[in-house]
Amino acid sequence: MLEFDGLHKAYGGNQGLQGGGVTVAPGQMDGVCGANGAGKTTTMRIAMGLARADAGQVRWRGQPLDEASRQRIGYMPEERGLYPKMKVAQQLAYFARLHGLTAADAAAAAEHWTERLGLGDRRDERVEKLSLGNQQRVQLAAALVGRPEVLILDEPFSGLDPVGVDSLAEALLEQCRNGVPVVFSSHQLDLVERLCDAVGILARGTIVASGTVPELRAAEGGRQLRVVAPDALHGWAGALPGVRVVSEQRGDTLLELGPGTDDQAVLAAALRTGRVTHFGWREPTLVELFREAVAAPAVAA
Amino acid sequence: MTGIASPSTAARIRLVAGREITTRARDKGFLISSAVIVLLVLGVMVFQLLAGGSGSSTTIGTVDGGAQVEQALVRSGEQVGTDVTVTEFADVAAARQAVADGDVDAVLVGGAGDDPQVVVESSRDDAASGIAGTAVGALSVARQLGEQGVQLTPPPAISYDVLDPATEGNGQQVVVALLGVVVLYALYILFGQFVAQGVVEEKSSRVVELLLATMKPWQLLAGKILGLGVLGLIQIVLIAVIGVTGALALDVVDLPGQLIGTVLTVIAWFVLGYALYASIFAAAASLVSRQEDLGSVLTPTTLLLVVGFIVSIQAAQDPGSTVATVTSFVPGMSPLVMPVRIAAGEAAGWEIAVSVALMLVAIALVVRIGGRVYAGALLRTGSKVKLREALRAERA
Repeated sequence: MLEFDGLHKAYGGNQGLQGGGVTVAPGQMDGVCGANGAGKTTTMRIAMGLARADAGQVRWRGQPLDEASRQRIGYMPEERGLYPKMKVAQQLAYFARLHGLTAADAAAAAEHWTERLGLGDRRDERVEKLSLGNQQRVQLAAALVGRPEVLILDEPFSGLDPVGVDSLAEALLEQCRNGVPVVFSSHQLDLVERLCDAVGILARGTIVASGTVPELRAAEGGRQLRVVAPDALHGWAGALPGVRVVSEQRGDTLLELGPGTDDQAVLAAALRTGRVTHFGWREPTLVELFREAVAAPAVAA
Repeated sequence: MTGIASPSTAARIRLVAGREITTRARDKGFLISSAVIVLLVLGVMVFQLLAGGSGSSTTIGTVDGGAQVEQALVRSGEQVGTDVTVTEFADVAAARQAVADGDVDAVLVGGAGDDPQVVVESSRDDAASGIAGTAVGALSVARQLGEQGVQLTPPPAISYDVLDPATEGNGQQVVVALLGVVVLYALYILFGQFVAQGVVEEKSSRVVELLLATMKPWQLLAGKILGLGVLGLIQIVLIAVIGVTGALALDVVDLPGQLIGTVLTVIAWFVLGYALYASIFAAAASLVSRQEDLGSVLTPTTLLLVVGFIVSIQAAQDPGSTVATVTSFVPGMSPLVMPVRIAAGEAAGWEIAVSVALMLVAIALVVRIGGRVYAGALLRTGSKVKLREALRAERA
């Protein structure tokens, strides 16, 4: 279990971080979304000991993270950083050794991850000579090369082409299947939705929503029911008890059901108007959930 | 999960130091500057050899000479500190040819007779002709005294009573110390720059964030300073070995024991001075995020080095001067001035002890404060960090 618990941090006049918590289980992939300046990077930096929290802590297996346990975390900072003049394999082996691998293991790990991430023929090149996309892969390899037990990645997908995204996603899923909790932040919400078991939405320095995507959908009050009944007369649903019409356009109606309202009764009413070509709960995408959560005044979910 | 032990502090520092050494040792700038310093030391020695006063020699030919004339020539050469090599020629024509060809500097014809003659190529060769003249005079006096029946006994040997034996041969020691100080100055600047560039490289490339996720700032700093320090020590020892071997081989020094003592003193001062300057340079460099801004933060420290260097050159001429005495206690300047004073035999034991103690105190202070500045400024990229901010903001 990796737990972020009640982190607070003030930044000059800004609000900074204001509590909120997320728990990531082993083998779980957790995506953190948030607007710019919401506190994603600060949260990760606190976890890595690069910033100090005013209050709250980050725990791994029940223990607050300390220097020794941080050694077991693979980290990818938002500001990418590698030695520009060092060769790829040499550099990765160095990072692996800093994480406690022996010289031989470190060299093998560097070999493995360069191969795995498609950098096999770039091992002896200086990092500064690589394309940005390849540098990004080296950066990821630097996070993976120390046999991490936890992965904390700040915007790992930014700057990658679709092929790169796929190979990175695959590598992360594999780590996840091996029982490594993975936390990453991203602006690419479709990616988060596709990859993650759980999502945390960060806004104004606090977690405004967290849980699995279905949970978030369920928590989202006033789900909408879309009914398409081409023959229905305008205003057919207006009289139904507990139903509010959100929009209606040539038989395509969007309804919001009050608590306890039976959706089957709505279907029956629609069928009485004639043909029904579509009847279904409209699943909000993560993007919509995100907009909703971020727009709402700070109410922790 | 495999339980990988987190590396110990010593292991981390070793790893960082190892990286510094391996990457620097392959660096072109490092290799070139090392070669320049070695060439400089060798150049100074060759210069010493060529300009040295004891090295002059001359070749004088004789016609109708003999053992007596040869001896007289060698002895009168000794009086003016010149080695004389004597060559006997069969006749005057051959001797004149040898002078014309430059094989000999002068020819003494009939040196023991009544009508001696000196052949030189031009009137400028007066050293050789002077020696020939003195020899002829000595021969003539000896012959006349012999004819009068006077027996010559050699003059009694003089025993010398030297009041201050410590200053014996100090001129040479001072030259060696000064040469050592030049090397020290070059290495301080060079390795100080290496440390500073390394710090800024890590900061500007932001790799520092990745590093600090695995270790503490002071461990990174210690590894960097130690690694480059070991490299610097290897280099100065190498220079010393080349210098001492060369000096002994070329026979430019009279007292090898004292030479080695002076060289060891310089090396010891290198360690002290490097510890101080590397720490200051690292802390100063951590305030900026770009190599271009490095100059502005390093200038005050570099200035101290330059002043120390200038004073040490002056101290070589006048080791007892007030300026030299005072600055040999000032931390930062003492590594450059003190070795010269020690070599000149001007520094008392207690003075050296106080100077070293002051230096150690300064190092302890700089490491403490510099370490805080470094830790506070390392993660603040962008504009230049103010010193006060850095001191306050350790891992804010």
